[in-house]
Amino acid sequence: MATGMLSRAARARISRCMNPALATPLAHPFRHHRIAHIRSQSTSASAAPLEQYDVVIVGGGIAGSALACALASAKASGAQRIALIEAFDLSNHINWSPRPDQYSNRVSSLTPKSVAFLKRIGVWSELDHSRIAACEGMQVWDGVSGARITFDAADVNGTQSSFLHQVFSGKLPTTTPLNNSSNINSNDDGTTLNGQESPPLAWMTENLHVQRGLQKQIMAHQARGVQLDIFEKTKVQSITANQADSTIAPEVAAESMDISDWPILQLENGKRLQTRLLVGADGVNSPVRSFANIESLGWDYSQFGLVATLQIDPTTSTAPGQGRGIAWQRFLPTGPVAMLPLNNGYASLVWSTTPKIAQDLKKLPARDFCALVNAAFSASPAELEYLYKNIGPNGEPLVDFQQEIEWRASVQDAEPSKTMLRGGANTDAKPPKVVDVQENTRAPFPLRMRNSSSYVEDRVVLVGDAAHTVHPLAGQGLNQGLADVECLARVIEQSLLSGSDIGNIHSLTPYSSERFLPNLAMLGTVDKLSKLYNTDFGPVVWARSLGLTAVDNMGPIKTEIMRFAMGLEEPSSSK
Amino acid sequence: MSLSLSARFPRSLRALVNPTSRAALLKPARTAPCATLFTSSSPLHPPTGKLYEGHIPISPLQRTILAVGSAFTALANPLRGDMVAALGETTGEMFLSRIRDQMLQDPEGRRILRERPKITSETMQLDKLRQLPDGTFGREYVRFLDDQQVSPDTREPVHFVDSEELAYVMQRYRETHDFYHTLTGLPVTVDGEIALKWFEMVQTGLPMTMLSSFFGPLRLTSEERARLFDVYVPWALENGSNSKLLMNVRWEEWMDRPVEDVQRELGVQSCPQA
Repeated sequence: MATGMLSRAARARISRCMNPALATPLAHPFRHHRIAHIRSQSTSASAAPLEQYDVVIVGGGIAGSALACALASAKASGAQRIALIEAFDLSNHINWSPRPDQYSNRVSSLTPKSVAFLKRIGVWSELDHSRIAACEGMQVWDGVSGARITFDAADVNGTQSSFLHQVFSGKLPTTTPLNNSSNINSNDDGTTLNGQESPPLAWMTENLHVQRGLQKQIMAHQARGVQLDIFEKTKVQSITANQADSTIAPEVAAESMDISDWPILQLENGKRLQTRLLVGADGVNSPVRSFANIESLGWDYSQFGLVATLQIDPTTSTAPGQGRGIAWQRFLPTGPVAMLPLNNGYASLVWSTTPKIAQDLKKLPARDFCALVNAAFSASPAELEYLYKNIGPNGEPLVDFQQEIEWRASVQDAEPSKTMLRGGANTDAKPPKVVDVQENTRAPFPLRMRNSSSYVEDRVVLVGDAAHTVHPLAGQGLNQGLADVECLARVIEQSLLSGSDIGNIHSLTPYSSERFLPNLAMLGTVDKLSKLYNTDFGPVVWARSLGLTAVDNMGPIKTEIMRFAMGLEEPSSSK
Repeated sequence: MSLSLSARFPRSLRALVNPTSRAALLKPARTAPCATLFTSSSPLHPPTGKLYEGHIPISPLQRTILAVGSAFTALANPLRGDMVAALGETTGEMFLSRIRDQMLQDPEGRRILRERPKITSETMQLDKLRQLPDGTFGREYVRFLDDQQVSPDTREPVHFVDSEELAYVMQRYRETHDFYHTLTGLPVTVDGEIALKWFEMVQTGLPMTMLSSFFGPLRLTSEERARLFDVYVPWALENGSNSKLLMNVRWEEWMDRPVEDVQRELGVQSCPQA
């Protein structure tokens, strides 16, 4: 389903609750669960019979659907009874058939680790590869000082853990990585797309596209007899901790197995589910998290992200290969602006800025919006500030944007950079010019940072945005969510194989201990980066520019950062 | 911009911020030797072409030598206006780009940057200004020039700023300084200049305009110092925060207006006891 076809309500929802395309795509329009009442005492009236499941996943977003796929595709967990509850119509995903020249505004970058996981659960092959753009390089620079760091896929050499990582993780040479997560390179031969020399840094594709692949795969599992029930277009009305209330399920009490502590979900369509393990994949305002009384810590950035689908003129880029497959990100004092490559001369914009500017940008006429996006990648912050100030209350430009931008660009071009003045060549590559913005793709949403105080509770586990939310600047939100899912599916499978109760908190602890620290490290890193660049205070700009330039010239450290961002290595990855 | 030295040496201060002063007039020929001294290409970074008329591209090493050298020369001989100017230029790039950014926020400032008007005796038509009635901004401005026996044409051109636009901002900053005196009524004295520095700091929010004020008072008599802190500084704090940024003023278009009108429009009051 193209975004253009989204209902007004759905779009409003996107702008209200959706996270940035890059980072936290786990929140998608179809997961705004509302639980009318969350009660800790049991419901007395129970019209419908209680259906029992081993796993109930609340939230059919990418994280929830991916977990359903992962569980269904494994041997032991595939034999369990699984339910997936989604408030919206999942058939929208199955029927999503966009035109080749239309892209949804919600685009995510998938790291090699995420892609390897999607391959393993059979989703990658369901995707239309003409809609996936390989990201071969990244250009990241400081809008205040111009300091720049470039990442190139060719810099990340292949299969083994880098020396620095080996030193820091205490496993010097010889040892092979033990856990699955660091094992991707060796078991994954296909991270190369179209036979390129070095595997891309990431793949860019629409969230809806991944969603469709997941739904297709879920249907395939259902077709081959996996007990995977989908409850769509229905909300969770309440979740009840069935605290040894034997009146609710007398027939259960008779059984030898004690299921009295299994949570019970009352659905809006009248169904009642009781589950051994309740998975919260229900987004940033997770009702499951509220039910489990898990605190969510963090803050809202005073920033909004604005996404849009852009049409670009690749010939205007000065990067090699006309900037094909290059992701561009410039840090402005108001927040980073990023352009992610798509195919066929399209790109996806994620512009983090103040809430006011984000709203203004949404209202600007397309022509002026494009001019301003181009300026955001080239003009001085002072110039941008002037332009922001000259957006009228109804989004009309109060000055001639094109003329003002052209004038400043001509002044800037006349000023040779310091390096040129000293006889060097100016090698800073320029991003392609934006020529148009696809209609109805501009959508603002608030940016947040959240981490749950815990990911597991007895019978309850959180994944994806329900567990953590991150600023989109590093494009890590979806990847973190998929890493959660990959890990949780593995932990559940292992518990089943060893005969433990998958809902027991002790069975879930390995998931929590494996994912909590890496997620926290990523959240912290991204948060610090965001704060570091959210200023134009002289000494800070000087120090961060010095640091960035230094890192850009230190190959091994740069490689390390890339591998970290690509999910090839994780900080303090435990078993 | 490092004005500390100039503050200790009033004439050089005038040469920097007001190069039409006599100090600058006395030594116009000195410019060339000092400039050529540093133009030989550095083995580290051979400089390339000029960016604007009068531009002298220098390498970072040369810049350092020039900054230190000009500082010592100016210390030893406050009459070397060219050296004081060189010091300001070599160290003031950050200051200039901040001023430029402030100008970019304002339609008038942008118009000035776009049209780059120059202030010379020709563009200002000083003779015409002399015909204006007493009390008009233009008449008082010319009176000031005549009293100081200076002309707008004798300013030190900008040499060492590695940016055409910032060189213009520097030029404009120097060229418009005399208008500040006309506007505020502050005299060309050490404490008068320091009062103007305070005023500029409050206006621009840039502490570097203040460096001179930390050292300047050392040279004042206790009477002057008392007047500076009791009268001038409170005036500067109040007026600096209330007035329009003076770099965004197209002074050329205000010449036939009474000084009081200009003051009212710009939100500046005459400095008491000036």
